[in-house]
Amino acid sequence: MTAMIHDLPSAWHVDQACMSEDERLVIIRFGKADDREVMAQDELLYKVADRVRNFAVIYICDNQKVPDFNQMYELYDKCTVMFFWRNKHMMCDFGTGNNNKLNFPINDKQELIDIVEVIYRGAKKGRGLVNSPKDYSTRYKY
Amino acid sequence: MQKVEDALQKGSDISNHGMVLEDDPEYQLIVDCNALSVEIENEIMIIHNFIRGKYHVKFPELESLVHHPIDYARVVKKIGNEVDLTLVDLEGLLPSAVIMVVSVTASTTSGKPLPEEDLNKTIDACDRALALDSAKKKVLDFVESRMGYIAPNLSAIVGSAVAAKLMGTAGGLSALAKMPACNVQLLGAKKKTLAGFSTATSQFRVGYIEQTEVFQTTPPSLRMRACRLLAAKSTLAARVDSTRGDPSGNTGRAFREEIRKKIEKWQEPPPAKQPRPLPVPDSEPKKKRGGRRLRKMKERYAITDMRKLANRMQFGIPEESSLGDGLGEGYGMLGQAGNGKLRVSIGQSKLAAKVAKKFKEKPFGSGGATSGLTSSLAFTPVQGIELSNPQAHANQLGSGTQSTYFSETGTFSRIKRT
Repeated sequence: MTAMIHDLPSAWHVDQACMSEDERLVIIRFGKADDREVMAQDELLYKVADRVRNFAVIYICDNQKVPDFNQMYELYDKCTVMFFWRNKHMMCDFGTGNNNKLNFPINDKQELIDIVEVIYRGAKKGRGLVNSPKDYSTRYKY
Repeated sequence: MQKVEDALQKGSDISNHGMVLEDDPEYQLIVDCNALSVEIENEIMIIHNFIRGKYHVKFPELESLVHHPIDYARVVKKIGNEVDLTLVDLEGLLPSAVIMVVSVTASTTSGKPLPEEDLNKTIDACDRALALDSAKKKVLDFVESRMGYIAPNLSAIVGSAVAAKLMGTAGGLSALAKMPACNVQLLGAKKKTLAGFSTATSQFRVGYIEQTEVFQTTPPSLRMRACRLLAAKSTLAARVDSTRGDPSGNTGRAFREEIRKKIEKWQEPPPAKQPRPLPVPDSEPKKKRGGRRLRKMKERYAITDMRKLANRMQFGIPEESSLGDGLGEGYGMLGQAGNGKLRVSIGQSKLAAKVAKKFKEKPFGSGGATSGLTSSLAFTPVQGIELSNPQAHANQLGSGTQSTYFSETGTFSRIKRT
C-alpha cells in the first residue's frame, strides 16, 4: 500500500491539513509542479512518503494557485518544504540561516528521512526548534 | 520347478482370455502369482549362491563387481572357462564402465580354470536362473495386466507397472498393505553402485516409486519430498485395495489429484515482499540489557569510595581544597579526622564479594588442613604489607543511604580518644 501525496487546492485545505493530524507531522511542499527543482524534490518526497507514513504525512501545494501563504511564510523560493505539528509550525536549524523552512534541494532519501525523524522527535517532546542531523551551511557557497 | 511351469501355463492361458468370470478365483490366482514371484526370487538367490560358490575358483572378484544375480549368471555363462577376457564380448550385458573394470580385474585374477564337470554344472545353473527370471517376468506381466482389476486405487496413483512390481516384491497385496510407508518407499531400491564412481549423483532411498510418472515429472529438488508423499498415499491406497473398500478406484484418483496439487503448490514462488514503513520514533522502548557483563562494564564508571568521601562534608569543619583557601577542588571528608588516610583502598566490588562468598561456601581444598603458608598479613597493592585487612575497612562507606554523620562506626571529630 503506497502512501499518496495529496494536492491541496485551496487555503482551506491547507488549514484543514495542518489541523487534522494529531499524531503525525504534517509536511507541505510549496511550489509550482512544473519546475525542475520542484519535480526533483517531489520525486524524493514520493519515495519517502511510504516509509515515514507512520509518523508523517506529506502534502503538496501550488503556491501560485494558493497565494494566501506566500507573505505569511515568505515563500519566495522555487520549492519550499515546511513542517507542522498540531497546527504549529516547526523550526529546524539546517545551518543555512533560515530555520523556518527547507528551501534547498535535498538529494538523499535517507537524509530526508533523518530530518523528518528528528523534527518528529522534537515535536513530540514539545520543542519548537530542533537541530538537523546534517549541517547544510556550505550548501550555498558565496 | 515343475509346479512353476504348470502355474505359468495356467497363468498365461487365462491372461489370453482377458475376461473375468468371477471375482474370487481370478483374485486367488493373482495372490498365487505374487507368492510365486517371491518364491522365484528365493530360488534365484539360492542358484546365485551356488553359481558364486562354483565360480569362485575361476574368478573370485566377479561376485563383488557384479551384484545382480541375473547379470552375474549371464556374465558367467558368457565367460565360461575363458581365461583371456579380450576374447569375450560383454557388450549389452553390463554397462561399459563395469565391463572395463571386469576386464582389468580378470587380467590380474588369482583364479584358475574350472574342471569340465564343474563348468557344466555352473552353466546349467546359470540357464536355470535365467529361465526363472524370464518366468518371473511373465508372471509380473500377467499381474500387471490385471492390476487395474486387483488394485485399482494403487494403480491409479503409481501406474499398473509399478503397482505390479511393488506387489510382487512385497509378496501380495495384503503384505504390501501391512508395510509402513517408509518400507514401501524402499521396495526395489538398488544397492550401492560400485566401480569407484561418486555416490553424489546416485538417487538415494528410492525404489520402484522412482519409475512412476509423477516422480519423473517432478523437478529434481522436490524429488525426495515427492517420493515420500507418493509412498504414503500409495500405502493408503494399497490398504483400501486390500480390503476391497473402493473397487471403482475413485479413492486412488482422488489421492493422485491431491498429490498433483501438493507438488504444484511446492513449486509456486514465495509471496512478494511488501516494503514496511518505518516505525514511529521512540514508540518502541529500547531493550535494556542486564547481566554480569554489563555490571562489570558499569563498575568501570561507577563512583568510587574516594569520590564519595570527597563529595561529602562534615558539619562545621571547613574542607581542604586543592588550591587552598576554598579555591580549587574540595576534598570533602577525604583526609579529615576519623579516617586517618588520604588514600582509600579500592574496596571489593559487589560482584567480587558474591564470588568470594560462593567460594567460601564450596568445600574446597584438603578439607580442613590449611596450608602452612597462610598468614594474617595482608598484601595490598597500595601500601605493601599491612597488618590490618584493608578489605574489611573498605566497605565502611557502604551505600549512600547509610549516613556517615549518624553512623555507629564513625567518630566524633573533636573528641580525642583517651
